[in-house]
Amino acid sequence: MIGIKSYGAYLPKYLLPRELIGKAWDFPLVPGTKAVASADEDSITMGVEAGLDCLIGIDPKTIDGLFFASTTQPYTEKDSASLIAAVLDLREDIITADFTDSLKAGTSAVCRAIDAIKANKDIKNVLIIAADKRKPEPATMWEYGNADGAAALLIAEGDALALEIEDYYSIAANVTGPWKRTEKDSFIRTFEPKMDAQFYIKSITKVINEILKRNNLEAKDIGGAAYAYSNPRLHGRIAKMLKFPQGVAQNGLFFQIGDLGCAMPFVLLISALKRPKPDAKILLAGYGDGADAILMQLKDKKALRALGKGRMGLVGHQKSMTTLKNYTWLIDNKELLVKDRYTRKSSAVILWRETKSLYQLYGNKCQKCGTIQYPMMFPSCYNCRSDGLFDPVKLKLKGEIFTYSLDHLVGGNYYATPVPRCVLDIEGGGRLLADMTEIEKPEENVKIGMKVELVFRKVHEGADFNNYYWKCRPPRGRP
Amino acid sequence: MVRHGIANKIAIIGCEMTKYGERWDKSQYDLLAEACLGAFKDAGINKDDIDAAWLGVFYYFTGLSGTTLEDALRLNGKPITRVENYCASGMDAFRNACFGVASGAYDIGLACGVEKLMDEGGSGLPGFRIFGHPVLPLPSAPAMFSMAATRAFHEWGWTKEDLAHVAVKNHDNGSHHPKAHFRRPLTIDQVMKAPMIADPLGRADCCAMSDGSAALVITRPELAESYAHADDYILVKANEISIYTMAPWYWPGYDFSEFPATLKAGEMAYKEAGITDPRKEIDLAEVHDCFTITELLNCQDLKFCEKGKAVEELKAGTFNWDGEIAVNPSGGLKSFGHPIGTLARATC
Repeated sequence: MIGIKSYGAYLPKYLLPRELIGKAWDFPLVPGTKAVASADEDSITMGVEAGLDCLIGIDPKTIDGLFFASTTQPYTEKDSASLIAAVLDLREDIITADFTDSLKAGTSAVCRAIDAIKANKDIKNVLIIAADKRKPEPATMWEYGNADGAAALLIAEGDALALEIEDYYSIAANVTGPWKRTEKDSFIRTFEPKMDAQFYIKSITKVINEILKRNNLEAKDIGGAAYAYSNPRLHGRIAKMLKFPQGVAQNGLFFQIGDLGCAMPFVLLISALKRPKPDAKILLAGYGDGADAILMQLKDKKALRALGKGRMGLVGHQKSMTTLKNYTWLIDNKELLVKDRYTRKSSAVILWRETKSLYQLYGNKCQKCGTIQYPMMFPSCYNCRSDGLFDPVKLKLKGEIFTYSLDHLVGGNYYATPVPRCVLDIEGGGRLLADMTEIEKPEENVKIGMKVELVFRKVHEGADFNNYYWKCRPPRGRP
Repeated sequence: MVRHGIANKIAIIGCEMTKYGERWDKSQYDLLAEACLGAFKDAGINKDDIDAAWLGVFYYFTGLSGTTLEDALRLNGKPITRVENYCASGMDAFRNACFGVASGAYDIGLACGVEKLMDEGGSGLPGFRIFGHPVLPLPSAPAMFSMAATRAFHEWGWTKEDLAHVAVKNHDNGSHHPKAHFRRPLTIDQVMKAPMIADPLGRADCCAMSDGSAALVITRPELAESYAHADDYILVKANEISIYTMAPWYWPGYDFSEFPATLKAGEMAYKEAGITDPRKEIDLAEVHDCFTITELLNCQDLKFCEKGKAVEELKAGTFNWDGEIAVNPSGGLKSFGHPIGTLARATC
């Protein structure tokens, strides 16, 4: 059978109270908070985090494919999936694809993963990662809704899966709204929001009704429904229209974290899996120029509960978020002001040559003295000076600070100075230098002996492409 | 590692340095000419008496290759070697000049250095972002050295105020040196209140960006008697360099309590010069004080005092100009600024 073998989530560290937006623009206030990514994050880095969360306890070399879904792909030519696959240390002989241009990209990727598994005996595990970092136009209602985050589902063929996928069904619909033109628009546009709502209602009710009908089911047979839309009132109206019993439609999370774009249906599914009814049938649906619906059957509640443990998931991220106090943070981190940004030179050649070290964070272990060291580019042992006698060893993504400096002088504009430059002793061996991100009041909070977690971030845009590397952050609880 | 060394084989017979500072009105060629022609005059020679030259330059924008010196002096095709070895560039130019002359290949050698930092604008060392690795973190120079300060605070209980005493001592010394960039004493309070550059190092803990040039003329002692300083030339007792990693933050177990290169270069130089008790035998030391913490660790690494005790000794006056060992009586980089490739320390 084909089903969901694992899941993971990522929410950025910061929550923006909508009140700050309302006050900044003198708008009618909307309650709640939304998740906002830092300037050094994009859909790729958030996707990596969700992927890491999903693969906890799973050997990355068992993954046969990676599909990445996002409307905010950093590149239009050059795919993101292969980059994320490299960072997650997946095999080379896998299938990769980016699903993009529609908010249903995540659910479409799930459907195509099922197809791939069904059609190819060599493909058994496909990781789907959905992430979005949409930049809403300031001083519009979009700013209240659009939020940032990522989620991952591991679609697999196997016997003891917690959730079995029973059916999937899609419809296409050519509608104009919302849109963002590749070359002309900085922000998402819409023609008539009320019409957008009609498009949405038509597609999402149709796809859900059809999949129920195909499977001789009624709304009352469904134990959990995860479908997203940015308007919380509309979300409730759909539940009524579809005649879902009370509590079946998963709370839109709009007031807690906002609208995560492509990642939203996955996040709602993960939320729905927290307390499922025994033997529940669960629906996952995504919308955008049509809609997808995926029907699942809960097989093993214990297995599902086990999946929830040992990873950050949604709850672990929500618990470790910090509420922002200033709207200016948003202006800075969303790059809404024109200013010189920190950059340095780069080399696509070096990044390719050192992928194992820089992206997959392997170090060298000396065959002679056993010292684990980093980066891999130095061919002689730091400790015993033997030459070229190294075995690759994967470094852990956590460690503690041996020493540090708080650097105010960073050769151009950084997003926040001072930047803590931290010398880390990695748990299990290896020492490396990492900048710290997402630290408030570093003068008070950075200390020798402080525990940190390593996170993959965009570090600069030298040579006019995105340069990614690892930074450290105060622990958010990643196992 | 020291085999035969060059003890007593080299005599310094002429030296000169420019005024250090923001030399907006002078080019690297002007500065080099001023220092070199001054050194020739001091030695009582003219430029055609030079057999070969070594030029310390760090930055490519100051000048690549030996041509930078040729374009300052027109040496008519004489051999000139550019030496780049980070902040030791000038000292290493001098070391190589020593070997060239001590070997007998040349009789009179010129060792000089120049750097033109102020033409680049901005704050902090210019161009740092253009070299190095694409994504590995690239801390500023003060951030690199302040990692050692953070450890010293943690291990030995040193404080930011302790570091400030280095700045106060050196600026006091520098106020008496006519060629220094800064000639104004500083108070502990001023040092403590200076803006933070790389925590815990503030602006007064850091040497300034400056332009400058310095030059030495060397020969063998047996020839020295035919030149101007026949009676008071300076004999080189040792000249050693040691190199360790540029990236100590990847060195597993390195504790940042010492600079291994300074430690080793000191050991080799003492051996070469026959010094067994540096504390007693050394009277004056010009050591690298790019940052206040650097001077303190250098004093320890060069065995002027025990490890962890440099602050105590500093405060007791051991390193004052009239103390047991005068450390940076010129005023050091704190007063002169740090045009990287120059060899000011040898000429102060």
